[in-house]
Amino acid sequence: MDNHQTWNSWKRQSWQRIYVLVTSVGVWLIFLGMCLGAVPESVSDDGQRLRQTTLDLVESGRDHWAFQPLIWDLPTSSADSLSSTIDSFIEARLQAEGLESAPAADTSDLVRRLHVQLTGLPPSTEVRQAFVDHPSESALEGLVDRLLSSPQFGERWGRHWLDLARYADSNGLDENFLFREAWRYRNWVVRAMNDDMPFDRFLLEQIAGDLLSYDSIEQRDQQRIASGFLVIGPKVLLGVNPNKQRMDVADEQIDTIGRSVLGLTLGCARCHDHKFEPVPTEDYYALAGIFTSTRVMQQRHMLGQQRVMEQLVGLGEKGDELNAAYEKYWRERPKVVESKKQAESALELLEKQDEAELDNLAEKDPGALSVQSKDRSLTYEARIRFQKEWIESFANILNHPPEIPPRAMVPTDVDEPRDEAVRRAGQFDKPENQVPRGFLRVVGKEETHIPDDESGRLELARWLTDVENGAGRLTARVFANRVWHHLIGRGLVRTVDNFGRTGEQPSHPELLDYLASRLIESGWSVKSIVREIVLSRTFALSSQHDPKAHATDPDNTMLWRAHRRRLDPESLRDAMLSVAGRLDLTPMQSSVWYLGDQATAVGDNKNRRRTDFPNRSLYLPAIRNDLPEIFDVFDFADPHATTGARPQTTVAIQALYLLNDDMVMDLSKATAQRFLMEEASTRLSQLYETMFQRTAVEAELKPFQDFIMQTQKQLERDGAKNPELEAWSALCHAMFSMSRFHFLD
Amino acid sequence: MSCHSFTPLISRRGMLQTSACGFAHMAFSSLLAQNGTPGKPMGDGFKKRPHIRPRAKRVIFLFMWGGPSHVDLFDPKPMLNDRAGSQLHGKDLGLDRGNMGELLGSPFPFKQYGQSGIWMSNLMPHLARQADKLCMIRSLHTEGQAHGEALLNLHTGQANLVRPSVGAWVSYGLGDARADLPAFITISPPRGHGGVQNYGSAFLPAIHQGMAIGSAETPISKAIIPNLTNTRQSTQSQRSQLDFVQSMNRKHLEQAARDPGIEGLIESYEQAFRMQTTTPPIMDLDNESKSTHALYGIGSEPTDNFGRQCLLARKFTEQGVRYIQISTNYTWDHHQKVEQGSIEESAKVDLPIAGLLQDLEQRGMLDETLVLWGGEFGRTPTAENKNGRNHHPQGFTMWMAGGGVKAGLTYGATDDFGYRPVEHPIHMHDLHATLLYALGLDHERLTYRHAGRDFRLTDIHGNIAHELFA
Repeated sequence: MDNHQTWNSWKRQSWQRIYVLVTSVGVWLIFLGMCLGAVPESVSDDGQRLRQTTLDLVESGRDHWAFQPLIWDLPTSSADSLSSTIDSFIEARLQAEGLESAPAADTSDLVRRLHVQLTGLPPSTEVRQAFVDHPSESALEGLVDRLLSSPQFGERWGRHWLDLARYADSNGLDENFLFREAWRYRNWVVRAMNDDMPFDRFLLEQIAGDLLSYDSIEQRDQQRIASGFLVIGPKVLLGVNPNKQRMDVADEQIDTIGRSVLGLTLGCARCHDHKFEPVPTEDYYALAGIFTSTRVMQQRHMLGQQRVMEQLVGLGEKGDELNAAYEKYWRERPKVVESKKQAESALELLEKQDEAELDNLAEKDPGALSVQSKDRSLTYEARIRFQKEWIESFANILNHPPEIPPRAMVPTDVDEPRDEAVRRAGQFDKPENQVPRGFLRVVGKEETHIPDDESGRLELARWLTDVENGAGRLTARVFANRVWHHLIGRGLVRTVDNFGRTGEQPSHPELLDYLASRLIESGWSVKSIVREIVLSRTFALSSQHDPKAHATDPDNTMLWRAHRRRLDPESLRDAMLSVAGRLDLTPMQSSVWYLGDQATAVGDNKNRRRTDFPNRSLYLPAIRNDLPEIFDVFDFADPHATTGARPQTTVAIQALYLLNDDMVMDLSKATAQRFLMEEASTRLSQLYETMFQRTAVEAELKPFQDFIMQTQKQLERDGAKNPELEAWSALCHAMFSMSRFHFLD
Repeated sequence: MSCHSFTPLISRRGMLQTSACGFAHMAFSSLLAQNGTPGKPMGDGFKKRPHIRPRAKRVIFLFMWGGPSHVDLFDPKPMLNDRAGSQLHGKDLGLDRGNMGELLGSPFPFKQYGQSGIWMSNLMPHLARQADKLCMIRSLHTEGQAHGEALLNLHTGQANLVRPSVGAWVSYGLGDARADLPAFITISPPRGHGGVQNYGSAFLPAIHQGMAIGSAETPISKAIIPNLTNTRQSTQSQRSQLDFVQSMNRKHLEQAARDPGIEGLIESYEQAFRMQTTTPPIMDLDNESKSTHALYGIGSEPTDNFGRQCLLARKFTEQGVRYIQISTNYTWDHHQKVEQGSIEESAKVDLPIAGLLQDLEQRGMLDETLVLWGGEFGRTPTAENKNGRNHHPQGFTMWMAGGGVKAGLTYGATDDFGYRPVEHPIHMHDLHATLLYALGLDHERLTYRHAGRDFRLTDIHGNIAHELFA
């Protein structure tokens, strides 16, 4: 048997080697082609030949699997009646590889898994017990449907999208200015997920929401807020050439949409035809024209100055007026400061009764004196009084700046949209030939026409989800794979942001195509595809190890078992708050309102983002370069760039955080206080069940009992104030640190 | 993974300051895991073979945040003083520009120091006595008219995209000299102008992130590594608590039969507990002699803070850390009163830096330690606000010492006004290529595959300044 395994494994490795060899040769051939063909010609004046080379690149690129039509046949396996279509794909492969599925997961584990994957929260003991007592297919469906319709679903799944949208409450990079209004976009995403907004509409509103028609101001504002997706990226703000900034901003937008929606890294094509992907530089600048015809920056008040910042637009009926008035105030405020200064000099002269100088001053600045103060028929006393009132009127303006009106980060089309020129080696100041605005030619069929007076964002958004003539199939594949990645633990394509030639091939190509088709058929309903996956037997497999299967498939690529998953930082913090009885499920609006314009505490600015809100972790401030500690330590997505798969590390800093962090210890104590109010005889079992979401048998509780007794005795010997509370706190702290708390079996 | 393989402590991503008091977050990590494969030993955490013969084993970078004025410190310009008060015109520099502002002479007398005759002003008298250890590079240039862009270019080679920092590349390229400290430590790093990005690992594995101690705004004597000690529990009670945790974790692992994630978690607790005892003694400067304190200016003002930073750097150097950065506060940005500002800031760092060079030499470590001094840019020869100078990335000075560089060499030159390099220009990318070269790393071969392509610190740029090396 061992020999057989070795033979299988050798066979597999050989195939892998051959595959790697073939693909790398292919990549090199393309690369060589680029060197021989495009590079020397890109500077030649023989436009025809250049065009042909480019077209060849695009044509040959169409063969790549990810650009192909969606093709799948139901496998004819011996799958039994409990298998869903998804399972039949998985099981057919397992059979072919001679692998056996793990048994079904323990019902408690399954309930916990479902709760955390769908809502990010642990189940209550009641919910878990109800299912454990009466498990059935219909009970499972009922549970799943309740979770899908709970408001916490959008908080969990919205956060997955926010990783891709590089959502943050500040700019990051060189000048970390606050994005005071970003939370509106965050909450829009949560709401869209909860409403099961079709994914094609979801993209449309984010890419072109400001251009869509609307029936109400509310709808207009929601669509505007959605398009904040384009504005929220990090930008170099100071000292940068405006033309360079324009190209850099467009590049950031192309990179984000390329990777998050299409699973393609397009950035390389900024400087040269993509070496590995069928993306010529012309296609890059065709896209760039769309984004440089879109304005996301504006000059406005920020941190005491007029600066070029992300663009804000007023919300509500009077939003535009209020916003304009607010900005006008700050634009004109320096003039008021100056007027007040002049009026004060005038007052001094009045007090000195220096009429000659007063005349001089009045000539230079007629507004320095009030009408009455100029009136020589009045006494100096009266004139001084009027002048003081005059000064007061300026002071009044200065002391009462208008409140910040409700605003959102919103792009607009520029006044005169235009095509962009290819730049030599990506340098913004080396323009070459103009290319019409458009999309990637390797994906989709038809040449698209973008109206001269529009940026083309509407057309782009429609092209992204156009299954027939656009990139819809690729978009569906990429998104279906993301859903699989989040629910199962790994993508069918493991390089979730890279579906290009340098990315990995799908482990189950037909299953991926099936899921993509289902997504499209369902009208791009995210909830439907989530539902179908979590109701599969594959989702409900045990994570139990099996030496035989492990020997053949150590990475569990074939999914002979469930991947054991570690809680992400949001779920970890939410679970601790929840166990402690402290979690507040109320959604938050801004969690950064108390911060100044400078989001990072530097120099005199001591105000730092807070983490002490009892609300769900989704709402904690996501300040670029200053994330909450628990986010940093437990592999939150760096909000500077699209992140489809967060890093997963197991490192000592995490252990130190759990052992010594104040919040962890505070919540341990709160948990102890909560459970000390329970009946003493069942206290420990209740705590155990709440903590780990499983029922403990008597023997399992014994070590916990012993720990409490020994710790309490020791604390009594040490003369502790409240040995019982401290001992239970130590126990809760220990349990927060245990693998059972951190892993989903 | 063997149960007895003690895993080293390495830095990781995103270690931020934790409290309003500005304590640095510590950034240790283990070889336990990286993306998607928890529990697997990292391939690149340990010592690696360099590409070329290394001149230096490590780097200490003394970062002067704000941008020191090169024409007042190290780059004498008689013409600037002769023409002081007159307009600098584009044609003076061969530039197609009109008047560029009124020239501001330097109030500081320059003279040659040491046998090598290196030119310096009188701002740093202690350093002047170490002149023969220095290799003065007067032809740096970079991009970024504002601090943020310039800092990011200096530290990561790129401003508009998040890229790994120099120290992270060094950690990635060389691994750790010893198992229980990170390869990259940054002492009192700036929080603004890119903040953690300036010592981040970006797409490199998280273990290569710099471990931050304190922040630029906080006195280093008050900086602690947070979560390294428990404020509420004795070590003994924590140990018995941890024993209980680990016994339960092992039970969980037994039931799972095999799981690298749980194995990794168990290992990470042991490692964390060990770190609580091994790291604090390195941080403790009280066990150094009085004469050492005096050498660094510790215990007297205005040198105490920077002296402590320098001594800490030396102690980490002794522990084999590969890349150590020390930063001043944001105090070198003299838009006004550049004379007074330069005097004050020089006084804070002059004696400590001279002390560090001597101490390294006495301990026989200077030869293998490359010390680099500089800011994110220089300052204009023209006046701003009458008596200040503006940002100037177009040309400025940095110096190196030790680490196989030619001691006593003055390399490169700017024009008559200190505006642009006219001889041997060294771009920031060239500096990076040269730093890596000194450490035995080829900047063209030190690559990392990310998002479908190979990335390097110098992108597609970088020329090594071979002439700097003996």
